[in-house]
Amino acid sequence: MTKSRKEKLEANDIHVDFGGIKALNGVTLTLNAGDILGLIGPNGAGKTTMVNVLSGFQKPSPGTVHLDGHDVSALSARKMAQAGIGRSFQAARLFRGLTVLENLVVAGLGIGMTRKGATAQAREILNWIGYHHGHDRRCESLPYSDERRISIARALALQPSFALLDEPASGMNEHECERLMETIVNIPKHYGCGVMLIEHNMQVIMGVCHRIHVLDGGRSLAEGTPEQVKKDPNVLRAYLGDRSSRAGAVI
Amino acid sequence: MRHIQRLFPVLALVIPLLILVFVIDQFGSASIQRVSTEALIRLVFAVGLYIFAGNSGIVSFGHMTFCAVAAYASAWQTCCSMLKPITMSGLPGFLRDNTIPLIPAGLTSIGLAGGTAFLSGLILMRLSSLSASISTLALLFILNVVYSNWSSVTMGNSTIVGLPVYVTIWVALAAAIVAIVIAYLYQKSRWGLMMRATREDEVAAQASGTSLYWSRLIAFTLSGFVAGLAGVLFAHFMGTVSISNFFLNQTFLIVAMLVIGGMQSLAGAVVGVTLISVLIEVLRRAEMGYSIGTMDFAIPRGSQELILAGIMLLILMFRKGGIMGGREFRWPWLVEDDGVREPELAKRARLLKMRLGVR
Amino acid sequence: MTNIVQVLIDAVALGSLYALVALAIGLVFGVMRLVNFAQGDYITVGAYSLVIPTFAATPAMMFGALPTVAMIFCVVLTVTILALLTERLAFRPLRNSDPTTLLISSFAVSYFLQSLILMLHGGRPKAINIGESLTTAVQLFGIRIPGVQLLTMGVAVTLLVTLVLFLKKTPIGIQLRAAAENFQMARLLGVPANRVIAIAFAISGILGGTISLLFVIQTGTLDIRMGVMPTVYAFFATVIGGIGSLPGAVVGGYIVGIVSVLLQSYLPEEMRAFRDAGVFTLVILILLVRPQGLIVTSAAKERV
Repeated sequence: MTKSRKEKLEANDIHVDFGGIKALNGVTLTLNAGDILGLIGPNGAGKTTMVNVLSGFQKPSPGTVHLDGHDVSALSARKMAQAGIGRSFQAARLFRGLTVLENLVVAGLGIGMTRKGATAQAREILNWIGYHHGHDRRCESLPYSDERRISIARALALQPSFALLDEPASGMNEHECERLMETIVNIPKHYGCGVMLIEHNMQVIMGVCHRIHVLDGGRSLAEGTPEQVKKDPNVLRAYLGDRSSRAGAVI
Repeated sequence: MRHIQRLFPVLALVIPLLILVFVIDQFGSASIQRVSTEALIRLVFAVGLYIFAGNSGIVSFGHMTFCAVAAYASAWQTCCSMLKPITMSGLPGFLRDNTIPLIPAGLTSIGLAGGTAFLSGLILMRLSSLSASISTLALLFILNVVYSNWSSVTMGNSTIVGLPVYVTIWVALAAAIVAIVIAYLYQKSRWGLMMRATREDEVAAQASGTSLYWSRLIAFTLSGFVAGLAGVLFAHFMGTVSISNFFLNQTFLIVAMLVIGGMQSLAGAVVGVTLISVLIEVLRRAEMGYSIGTMDFAIPRGSQELILAGIMLLILMFRKGGIMGGREFRWPWLVEDDGVREPELAKRARLLKMRLGVR
Repeated sequence: MTNIVQVLIDAVALGSLYALVALAIGLVFGVMRLVNFAQGDYITVGAYSLVIPTFAATPAMMFGALPTVAMIFCVVLTVTILALLTERLAFRPLRNSDPTTLLISSFAVSYFLQSLILMLHGGRPKAINIGESLTTAVQLFGIRIPGVQLLTMGVAVTLLVTLVLFLKKTPIGIQLRAAAENFQMARLLGVPANRVIAIAFAISGILGGTISLLFVIQTGTLDIRMGVMPTVYAFFATVIGGIGSLPGAVVGGYIVGIVSVLLQSYLPEEMRAFRDAGVFTLVILILLVRPQGLIVTSAAKERV
C-alpha cells in the first residue's frame, strides 16, 4: 500500500515558548519533496524543537504547519507519522527488546500495511542501507553507528513524504560518516521524499544538502545554498562567537 | 519442521505441563492434586495479566476485578437455586429464578469480565502508564467496595456456597493451555508487536504510527477475558465465592510470580507461577511443621509471605528481567542471522572454513 | 447550621490527614519517581511500636507506656529510622530503574513489612488505649468538636507550615524542593543526591509517625492493614493534585478528604457504604478530564 506522496511541508512563523524561554521565535521554513534541507545552528538554537513541531510532538503557539496546503498543526505525533512525516531521534530510541527487523515492521504496521508487506518492506530497506545480516538480532546489543542507521531505516519504513533526521552522524567516525552521507543523498532519489537534516557535523551538511537553513537563538539567521551560507557574515559571527565553533570546517 | 520451530515457545511450555499433570494425576496424593489444580488456575490468571502487563509494561493491580466479576456472574447463574431468591433477592428475575447450564454460564461470565475490561479500559487507557497503574488499583477497590456492600446481589461480605464443582486438574490444565495459546497468538500478532513497541519506547512508537490507546485497550480487553476464565475456574474449583478472595493478597501473589519469572515473556509467567507455587507449598508445609524423630521443626507463621517478598526484592535488584529475562524458550539449534536459519553445525563449518582460508 | 459546620470540620480534619500522607508520597515521588506503597506500612509500624510484640488482643504497652512527649518522640523516631532503612536497603539499589520496577518494588517492601508485623503481632486487630481523653468533645463557639479532630487539624497545620518554611527558607529545603520538581536539573547544579533523597524519606517517616499516633487516638485499634486505606487515598490525592507537584499533593489530599466526608454526610442512607467507591470513581473522572492532574509541572512531561 503506497500512500500518496506529499509535495510540500511548510512551517510558518513558528513560536514555541518553554515557560519563559523562547525556543523558537518566528521561524519559517519550507521543505520540498526531493530536497535535502540542512538545519544547523549552535546548541540551543531550536533545531530539535523545530523537528518536534514538524513531527507533531510540539504544538506551536502561535504558528502553523502545512502539509500540501492542509493545516496539520493540531495533529498528534502519530497522525503526523501516518500522514507522511517520518523522523529519527537524537537518541536513536530504538525498540530495544525487539529485533532490528521488528523495529521497521512496527513502522510499516503503523501506516496500515499487512504483516507480510511490512516485513518484506523492512528487509528491503535494511538491505538498501547496507544492513544485510543480523535482521533478527535484538536491538539492545547493537553498536552505536548501527543503531543510528537503523533508526533512519525505521523512519523510512513509514514511507514518508518527508524524513526528518536529528543528528544521525553524531558519534560516527569518518568512514561511517561517508557511508551515511551516501545513504542520505540517495534517499530522495530512491524514495522520492524530502529530507531535513539536523547536524553539527559540517562535513556531512556541506556534502549532502541542497539548501541550508541556519538557526540561532530561536530565530532564522540565514538560508541558502551551502556556498551562500558559508560566506554569510551573520553565520560566521554566530559560529565564531560560539566557543565550540567549527569555524575551520565552515570556512 | 519449521512449524515446530515456530511453535516451540508454546510447546516448550505446554508439553512439560502435560507431563507434570499426568504424573501428579497418577501418583500424587489428593492434597497435591488440589494444590496443583489451584496453581494451574493461578497460571491462567497470571497469563491473563501478562497479556496486558507484560506486553505493555504497565502493571495492572486491578485484574482481580475481572476475575471477581466472572466468578460472581457464574455463581449467579449456576448456584443455589433454592436459596437464591432469599440470599440474593436483588438479582434480576431471570437470574434469581433460573439455573443456567454450566458451559453457557461460564461463557457468559467470561464475556462479562471481558466487557468490564473493555469499558473500564476505554477510560483507563487514556491515562499515562503510571496513572493507569494506580487507577487499576482504584478499580479493584471500587469493585471491592461495591461487591462488599451490595448485599442483596452479592451477599456482601458473606461467602456464596454451593457452586457446582467441576474443575479437575485436567480441566484446569486445558484452560491453562488455552490461555497460553491465546497469549502466544496475541504476542505474535501485529497488535502484540505494536504493543511491545509502545512498552519499549512510547515516543518512538507514536512517531512510528502506533496508537498507544488502541493497542493498550485491545490488550487490556483480551487480558480481561482470560482473567475472567480464571475467575470461573476459581469459583467452580472451590465451590464458593467470596469477595475477599479477589483482593490484595491474591493480587500481590500473582504480581510476585510474574516479577520473579520475568514479566516480559510468556515463558516468564509460566516459569514464575510454577516455581513459586512449588515454593509456597513447601513453605506452607514447613510452617505446619515436620516431625523428625521426637523433634518438631517449623518455621514461624508468616515466613511464607516474608520470604516471597524478599525473593521478589532480590530479583528486582539483581536480575530485573526475572528468571527468563523477557525471553521465550527458543528452538535451541537456531542460529538467528539474516532471517536464514542455519543449523549450528553448518555455521561452525562455514566459520572454520573462513578461518582456514578454504574456499 | 451546626450540622454543616460539623461536616466542614470533619472534612478539613480528614483532608489534613490525607494531605500529610499525600505530601509524604509526593516528596518521595518527586525525588525518586517512586510511588511508595510502603508509606502505609510506615504508619502501621509506628502504631504497632506502641505495644509489645505479642499475639494478645489487648497487648501491653511498649512506647505507649512512656510519658507523652517521650512516646511521640520514640514513635516518630522509629518510623523515621524505618523509612531511612527501607530507602538504604531496598530503594537505593533500584534508584535508576523505570517507574514500573519502582512501583512493584514498593509493593514488595510494603508486603514485606506487613508480613513482618503479622509474624510479630499476629493478624487480629488489637484494642489500644492512647490519648482517650482526647476523643471527648470540646465546646468551641457553640459547636462540639471532638478533641482529636482539633488535634489533627492543629498538628496538620503546624506540620504543613513547618514543612513549607523548611522547603522555602532553609538551604537543604530549597535543594530538596528543586530536586523534587526536577531531579536531573538539581543534580547538574550540584545538589547531593543521596542526602536529598534520604531527607525526603526522613520527612516521610516523620509524617508517617505523626499520622500513626493521630490514627491510634482516633480509632483505638491496631490492625495490620490500618495504613493501607489512607495511603491508597493519598496516592489518588497525588494523582488528582498533579504527579510531581508538592502543592498539588496537598491540594489533592484536601479534595479527597472533603469529598469523602461530604459524600458520607449527604448521600442517602443506603448509598453511604458506597462512599469509598464514589471517591475512587471521582479520581478516575478527574484523571480523564485532566490527565496530568490539577497542577502540572515539568516533571510530568517527558522530553522528546
